[in-house]
Amino acid sequence: MRKKRTAYLLLLPLMGVTALALLACGSVLTQSLGVVPAFGLTEPTLDYYREALTDPAFFSALGVSLRTALLSALAAAALGTALCGALVRLGRDRGPMAYLIRLPILTPHAVTALFAILLLSQTGLLARWARALGLLSEPGAFPQLLFTPSYGGTILAYLWKEIPFVAYFTLALMAGVSRTLGEAAENLGASPLGAFLTVTLPLSLPAVSQAFLIIFLFAFGGYELPLLLGATLPKALPVYAHLAYMHPDLRQRPAAMALYGLILLLSAALAALYGLLTRRLLRRVGGGQ
Amino acid sequence: MKKLTALFLILTMLLSACGGKDTHTPDLSAASWDQIEEAARGTSVTFYGWGGDEDRNNWLASVAAPYMKEHYDITLEVVGMNIDEILAKLAGEKEAGSAAGSIDMIWINGENFYSAKENGLLYGAFLDKLPNTGNYIDTEDPETLNDFCMPIEGYEAPYGRAQMVLYNDSAVTPETPASAQEMLVYCQQYPGKVTYPALPDFTGSAFVRNIVYEICGWEQFQTMEADYDTVKEAIEPALDYLRSLNPYLWNQGRTFPDSSTTVDAMFADGELVLGMSYSPYGVAVGIENGTYTGTTRTFLFENGTIGNTNYMSIAFNSPNPAGAMVVINAMISAELQLSQYEQLRNLPVVSPAKLSGEERAAFDAVDMGQGVLSQEELLTHRLPEMPAKLVPVIEEIWLSEVVGK
Repeated sequence: MRKKRTAYLLLLPLMGVTALALLACGSVLTQSLGVVPAFGLTEPTLDYYREALTDPAFFSALGVSLRTALLSALAAAALGTALCGALVRLGRDRGPMAYLIRLPILTPHAVTALFAILLLSQTGLLARWARALGLLSEPGAFPQLLFTPSYGGTILAYLWKEIPFVAYFTLALMAGVSRTLGEAAENLGASPLGAFLTVTLPLSLPAVSQAFLIIFLFAFGGYELPLLLGATLPKALPVYAHLAYMHPDLRQRPAAMALYGLILLLSAALAALYGLLTRRLLRRVGGGQ
Repeated sequence: MKKLTALFLILTMLLSACGGKDTHTPDLSAASWDQIEEAARGTSVTFYGWGGDEDRNNWLASVAAPYMKEHYDITLEVVGMNIDEILAKLAGEKEAGSAAGSIDMIWINGENFYSAKENGLLYGAFLDKLPNTGNYIDTEDPETLNDFCMPIEGYEAPYGRAQMVLYNDSAVTPETPASAQEMLVYCQQYPGKVTYPALPDFTGSAFVRNIVYEICGWEQFQTMEADYDTVKEAIEPALDYLRSLNPYLWNQGRTFPDSSTTVDAMFADGELVLGMSYSPYGVAVGIENGTYTGTTRTFLFENGTIGNTNYMSIAFNSPNPAGAMVVINAMISAELQLSQYEQLRNLPVVSPAKLSGEERAAFDAVDMGQGVLSQEELLTHRLPEMPAKLVPVIEEIWLSEVVGK
């Protein structure tokens, strides 16, 4: 009983924060239904949702965010797992190398955006080097990655941060599996690559799939990188919603809140869908608990 | 889950209980100015406003705050915050029903003033109470009566004047386009080297309105309804013009820089050949601190550019409205306006006709620096702002009708 009480006591701060977050969500949802008594809006209505869901700009913003999040998370999961496998294989899962890969994770997104601009713009370092090496004839010949509707620069910047994150997140589990079952497979005659693909990788998938969900949802709701590296149109969904929130007419507030409400609902729905899909998949490959 | 629901309920009740306290903002309508000054003595006043201008922050800290302390024993606390966040904060306080807020004075104008006044976020009329309104301000000036066509009715006092100007470097481009048509020719001559900040950036938005004035005239907008279709029809020729500009702009007008700060930096880097600014003396400051070359110069459209005034107002739940009035009164004095003119090159709000001979000589003696236009040149090419309600409508139309078209 004592032990339980201590545990609850330790959980209290978390519960407090969770309650506040729920309170904020509740406030967003109330306002999204058009109830803001301070501005004389008291009739609950679904009009703001209807308005958002019939606005083509909403769907192009949703498309940008889904595409950016999906492409960056898929590529980061694949490359991050490969990086992790390489680190484990080289026995570098601890020590300086493991610290080095944490660096991009610790870099703030705004700073990452600055790096991307310095490196990837048409007058950036890469373009200048390519020109100095005679690979490009004129500065405009460097492919335009930043500020384009394809959000290439945003995706690259996310990759720079997320590949190390996936590797870091998976490292402990994969190193454990590799040292025990992976080596056992090799002793029994499997090639190193075969052991990795048939034993270590499938057993590490739960960590990879969790990492994927985290980075996918993060990029889906991400604001800074698409704002700083993206196009004027179409905007990413969070940028679009924030712009609506900043509308000087305060009576437009519910319209913005409806967008935030949709982001919340979509994130929750995507997470639930993903949970369902991966549970089945992991059971099949034998990695699920 | 049940426990969580209970906790949620308790927290909601706690939070709403915090907001329920009713300490009413003091009523000053019957008080004399002496009584107001007396009530303000020994208090502190918070001044919330945009904090992105280092020079202004320094001026507030090194001139305005000591001035208030010395003359009125008031501690002026300046808080840098974007206006949309200030309004969000006030709106939050209003929702929570808190009568005693955290904000006394606000730096505000335009559509934000409109929205704050409409939604009851401001204290009320106070301009006539200030002795310096009579001493220094031209009360018949349209910019004292209306802010972006919204009647001010004494809810705010002028703080400084701004005016849209264009600038470029005579060593790089000898031309100074004096109209929208010349601007198009200029862009064709320097393809990819001209752009403007993406709306709703303040400067970008003003630049587009200026183009609208160039192409469609300014008078019709003063009384226009803020209806999407009406506005779109009225500005269609300007939209055509902006679309014809696109192929010659930076990134072929598919993308626009996110803010005026970015445009200024791109100009300083040589990536652009032309910039625009709402600070008419910004070029002189830039030349002095080495950001711009000595051959950079300011110019205007012949038909004029949009000017507006920015103002100081008082929050609806200001804990110290008396203190705020005393500070605002001091801010519109000849002494502090002159100091702003000297140190910040801010166009003053005092009426030259109301200044004494000595005061006027002091204003005339200020050296505005290189590459800028005279106050007279600016004021004779000054056009009034549009109604605040039209501004977000034009921004919306620009996004769907101009970008990448």
